[in-house]
Amino acid sequence: MNMENNIDILKQLKTEFNGLSADSYQGKLQDYVKSGTPIVACTDDFFPELFEAMDLPFYFVVRQGLESAFHAGRGAEAVDGYDEFNGASTLCSLQKASAYLLVKDLLPKPSAIVMTSTSCDAQTAVNELMSNYKPWADVPRISVDASFEKDEASMEYLGKQWIQIIPFLEKATGHKFDLARFKEVCEESNKQTQMLFDFQELRMAVPSPIRAEWGFIAYMGCRWSACGKPEGTAWMQRLYDATAQRVKEKKGIDGVTEKIRYTWFDILPCWSDKLFPRLEQEYGAVNLMDLYGYCAPWPSIDTSSLESIFTSLAKRFLIGNPMTRQIFALSSVYGGDAVNIAKNFKCDAVIMPGHVGHKDGAASHKIVKDMFREIGIPFFVVGCDVFDERYMDPDIVFQKISAFFETSGLT
Amino acid sequence: MENKTNTLEKLSKIAGEIMNPALQDWQSRGGKIIGYFCPFIPEEIIIAGGFLPYKIRGIGSDDTSEADEYFDTKNCSFVRHCFNHALLGKFDFLSAMIVGTGCDHTRRIFDNWQIAPLKTKLVYLLDHPRTMGTEGMEDTIINYYRAQLAKMKEYLENNFGVEITVPKLRSAIKLCNETRLLQKKLYELRKVENPPITAAEVASVLMAGASMPKEEYNEDLKMMLKQVQHDKDRVQRDYRARLMIIGPAIEDPVFYSLFEENGGEIVIDDTCFGARYSMKSLIDETAEDPLHAIAKYNVLDVPFCPKINGSHKNRIEFIEEMIKEYNVDGIIGQGYVACDPWGSSFGLLSAHLKNAGIPYLRLEREYISTETGQLSTRIQAFIETIGKSIW
Ligand code: SF4
Ligand code: SF4
Repeated sequence: MNMENNIDILKQLKTEFNGLSADSYQGKLQDYVKSGTPIVACTDDFFPELFEAMDLPFYFVVRQGLESAFHAGRGAEAVDGYDEFNGASTLCSLQKASAYLLVKDLLPKPSAIVMTSTSCDAQTAVNELMSNYKPWADVPRISVDASFEKDEASMEYLGKQWIQIIPFLEKATGHKFDLARFKEVCEESNKQTQMLFDFQELRMAVPSPIRAEWGFIAYMGCRWSACGKPEGTAWMQRLYDATAQRVKEKKGIDGVTEKIRYTWFDILPCWSDKLFPRLEQEYGAVNLMDLYGYCAPWPSIDTSSLESIFTSLAKRFLIGNPMTRQIFALSSVYGGDAVNIAKNFKCDAVIMPGHVGHKDGAASHKIVKDMFREIGIPFFVVGCDVFDERYMDPDIVFQKISAFFETSGLT
Repeated sequence: MENKTNTLEKLSKIAGEIMNPALQDWQSRGGKIIGYFCPFIPEEIIIAGGFLPYKIRGIGSDDTSEADEYFDTKNCSFVRHCFNHALLGKFDFLSAMIVGTGCDHTRRIFDNWQIAPLKTKLVYLLDHPRTMGTEGMEDTIINYYRAQLAKMKEYLENNFGVEITVPKLRSAIKLCNETRLLQKKLYELRKVENPPITAAEVASVLMAGASMPKEEYNEDLKMMLKQVQHDKDRVQRDYRARLMIIGPAIEDPVFYSLFEENGGEIVIDDTCFGARYSMKSLIDETAEDPLHAIAKYNVLDVPFCPKINGSHKNRIEFIEEMIKEYNVDGIIGQGYVACDPWGSSFGLLSAHLKNAGIPYLRLEREYISTETGQLSTRIQAFIETIGKSIW
């Protein structure tokens, strides 16, 4: 396979990814609304395997905030709209956007709501909004408690509660649960997560074969759009192969001479295009990873019984899921992941965006900074909003990072 | 009269300082003090271990420069002031510190406490539930929390060589229930048209309860209640509006004076460490399994903090009940900048109150009131809009 073909393959994979998204439950929401098909609204971080097995259309409320507000160019409108609601002024702008969609009736009314107490205070805020939104008052809901602890008892605690979601969904939506089908979906999901790991290994190569955004795209493909679907696995395989080919040919990112390898340790900004290409062109600085692209050691799902499936899903949730893993955990896990990425990806620098919504992250800066001081990797906290670029202009972010690179002797 | 002033003065003084004579006395008798940060951390278990539970606060702090190395300005100023005190050695008298997995800010006190050069090395993180659950699933949550409480109990037992037995737990529950009942009586004093005790005094009396031995506190409180009830000499104030205040704990008396100066009388609250813990149910003193009873009380019985999924409904019920009981004219939602739990709950609250036609004022501020002029103007305008004329 020559290089040109390889670039074409990446383009094609992106097109295919868009197709997977359009075909996903979330992509076809409007069709379901029109046909009156039951839909489940759910907090981010829940596992799509169950919905796939029950053939049950669902959407993640936060993902709606991302896609229907920020990616649709309506982020500012949504954030300002939330502020009129008189809520928390410093709430994560993504959750502000989700809340705005909810109170403006821009989310499809679900037949059931599934909530897990998770990552951040902002998520709780939106859970509470969903629970008290009058037009949704008649929608059945289930609220599950995720433990902060990560021991076996905690996994069982969460798994045991999640099992209750099955009869709840059957009753609320009329869709039936079939254990054999659930096992099948979980096995497929296991294949996909293994591939996410393998893909991550490939991405450690020097020069970096593929931009960090592909990590997030792979995550979305395997977890959000085509979780447990063979077509998702096939797509992931093609992405893996294309990347492996680039590694074999020692090809770095097209059009970039890699000089600085860094990680952006948070969610990729919605305004990435105003920052990363500039850093690439100006400094040969390549972003290798972000939080959603990072695949922490996700335990595979033990499909031997219903209980074992749910306990392992709980494990995945608590120690694997991006954001839940880092935010709903001790600072040492958060910093430890940053250090692991920096070491495994041979980073020259680590940039912590300091997303305004991440209050727990803001309270961990010293801990993480000290970890990097110890291993001698330059570390910098920007202090921006990864969703709403008005908080800190991308140009200022660029200037700050430039100054950081320069003062760290990386240029 | 003299005794009353003395008791009230004593409690107010205790509330206004970090170290106080009651703590000194406790320590001089070899007693150990355990710090805690949130009402979810049950005092009962600490007391049953023979320790004195002490609520961490930032009172008297005017700077966060030490804490700013650990926490960012995006973090709640309450947490930063408290941690600043810790870094300045103000809490060095603690034998251990217990932090809860509450909001995103407080949780990190645990992480930062571990790496900071603090004299008190023992620090424990108590995992408490973040949802009130769904009908039929409450037991799972209560049992999980019970298991977490048992771990906390073991932590204290193992580190201090004590045994926290069932009878000790029962008697600690009894003692704390007595405090709740007495504090309820304290609030009842605010029901009348001319309350014989001010809101700031009530807040101080409550705060003192989390800073001294409970037995001594209960005795003081009993005495104080008796004296205040019969005191005809208390200054009668002309106020224009009876207010309920909602939000995190208010520890700064200056903040209360802003209302009083503007003709507002805060008669009741829903604040952390405030009315919500004394106005509702008690912990079952006779329960076979006291830890289970404590867990149940915290998961289901007290109208909850906004960090808990499903708490809004309870909060609204509690607020509505209090509005009626205390004849409230308006609601004040006060919270700190960067506090997402309270901030977002205020959005829901304001929508609810608007529909119900109840006047509402939202105040977002820093833990130590520096912008008092601006706050005072807003409070004055609010009271003018809703208040009865005094002329
Ligand atoms: S981006 Fe962070 S703060 Fe925002 S919703 Fe996700 S976990 Fe919460
Ligand atoms: S005021 Fe808000 S942010 Fe601060 S400690 Fe309390 S709940 Fe957390």
